Amino acid sequence: MAEYFGVAVEDIFNTMEKRFRKEGAGGVDAVFGYDISGEGGGKWQVTVKDENLKVEKIEGDLEEYSVILDTDAETFVGITIGKVDAGEAFSSGKIKVDGDIGLLTNVLPQIFTKYTPPEKEATAKDIIDSMVDRFRPEKAEGVDMAIGYDLTGDGGGKWTALVKDQTCKVEEGLASDCTVTLQMDAKVFVDLNLGLIDGTSAFTSGQVKIEGDMGAASTSAKFFERFRLGGAEGAEELISLKCLPSVDQRFATGPVMGKWFEGLKEKKFYATKCPKCGRTQIPPREICANCRVRCTEFVELGPNGTATFIDIVYYASPDPLTGEVRETPYGGPFFMLDGATEEESFAHGLNPKDLERIKPGMRIRPVWAERRTGSYTDLLYFEIDD
Amino acid sequence: MTIHKEDTKHCFVLEGRMALPNQYFAGRVGSKFIIALRDEKKILGVKCTKCNKVFIPPREYCERCMSKLDENWVELSNEGAITNFTVVRYNDKHLPKKAPYILALIKLDGSDTPFPHIVEGIDLKKVAIGMKVKAVFADKTTNTIMDLDHFEPA
Repeated sequence: MAEYFGVAVEDIFNTMEKRFRKEGAGGVDAVFGYDISGEGGGKWQVTVKDENLKVEKIEGDLEEYSVILDTDAETFVGITIGKVDAGEAFSSGKIKVDGDIGLLTNVLPQIFTKYTPPEKEATAKDIIDSMVDRFRPEKAEGVDMAIGYDLTGDGGGKWTALVKDQTCKVEEGLASDCTVTLQMDAKVFVDLNLGLIDGTSAFTSGQVKIEGDMGAASTSAKFFERFRLGGAEGAEELISLKCLPSVDQRFATGPVMGKWFEGLKEKKFYATKCPKCGRTQIPPREICANCRVRCTEFVELGPNGTATFIDIVYYASPDPLTGEVRETPYGGPFFMLDGATEEESFAHGLNPKDLERIKPGMRIRPVWAERRTGSYTDLLYFEIDD
Repeated sequence: MTIHKEDTKHCFVLEGRMALPNQYFAGRVGSKFIIALRDEKKILGVKCTKCNKVFIPPREYCERCMSKLDENWVELSNEGAITNFTVVRYNDKHLPKKAPYILALIKLDGSDTPFPHIVEGIDLKKVAIGMKVKAVFADKTTNTIMDLDHFEPA
């Protein structure tokens, strides 16, 4: 069957039923006609009515339809899998639409989930079969070796690769005089060749058993180019690296933040009080930013208070201190601690058990870590005080 | 409760470590460049036929005339000359080598732009502009520019 970008036109129609979304088809009553020319093409009629779907291949002319799409097989597949730009194809005349075009552009994406071509899986046989092509004669100078592969399980089999006089030949079955025989599960063999598992660890963990010349087993790898999963269009390898850099940090508290951390250790909240406007700043700061005067007086706030504004966070951002993704949802409410002056709220975490119940105006209390060291982790979160 | 400027009673230092989970995508052009280093031990550049310039590392567009370059691959020589250099004299975990090492700009034969890499196998005091160097490829791949491990005097 003719394939374009590794996909046949029929694949797309045959998977429609699976991709059909009832919830997206509510109120839709339409007949989509497809007239697809070229190899692998044909005519299809897709009827959507009362949240039901009917896909039919039609011989002869399409008759009653709400909209008809007239294009060639390559363009059709390309647009469906996102390899061809629909707008461009339309303006260049590769697609012709007769009828209500809105059904195609707006309604269709609601009714069906996107078609994704099934991933091609490599088999042990694919890898063995490609050995001759992947052979690098320049690396095998003076080598005379028979490498046996005894692959068990699904997709397994027995093969022997003969490397001699800078040529490579693969035969079925195990030769009687193999220099080395590698025994493993066919799945392990595939993963090794795809670089998903590391050869040394596969051997040390017992996934791979080697009989015969161990050295030959490790040098044989370099006689061959790396195996690549070949898609229909010659899949392009793209490099993407995950890394976790870390930055060491030192934070000198100074006398004021130092006092704040000292307070946390004693389960106390210290705020500075501005000598001019009288506002309390929490966490404390050396200067009142409004009056631009030095704050020299500390007052104790709370420890209980009132919730004023509730943030519930659903976005799973990483915790910058660990790189781990935070569990969601989590609460980030603002509190007015008892004794704080107007507008001087304090934001911290919320006990997850209170996420559903918390409302502005509720009384809250702090929950402290059992072991407090004078750091930001001393205060765990706040919870509803009832 | 008052504080004085000299009052350091509560001062202390908090040590911390910030993790920055990151994913780097080399792109289509960058991937091809690294794969050539890794699998074929070849250094690839791209040529702008309009400006008649060869760029390395390869890029998708010419910086001068904005033409698309990603079809015009050229293989560069593994040898070139140092056009400038510096000596890195501090250690940090993100640096590719242990200090002191030479970080040089190397203009490979066949290219028009110098590209930065490490030069080894020569005394720090003897390295000079104009010196001929050649590429040494890494034994073990990291899928990065470090698949070309360093340059050494040719």
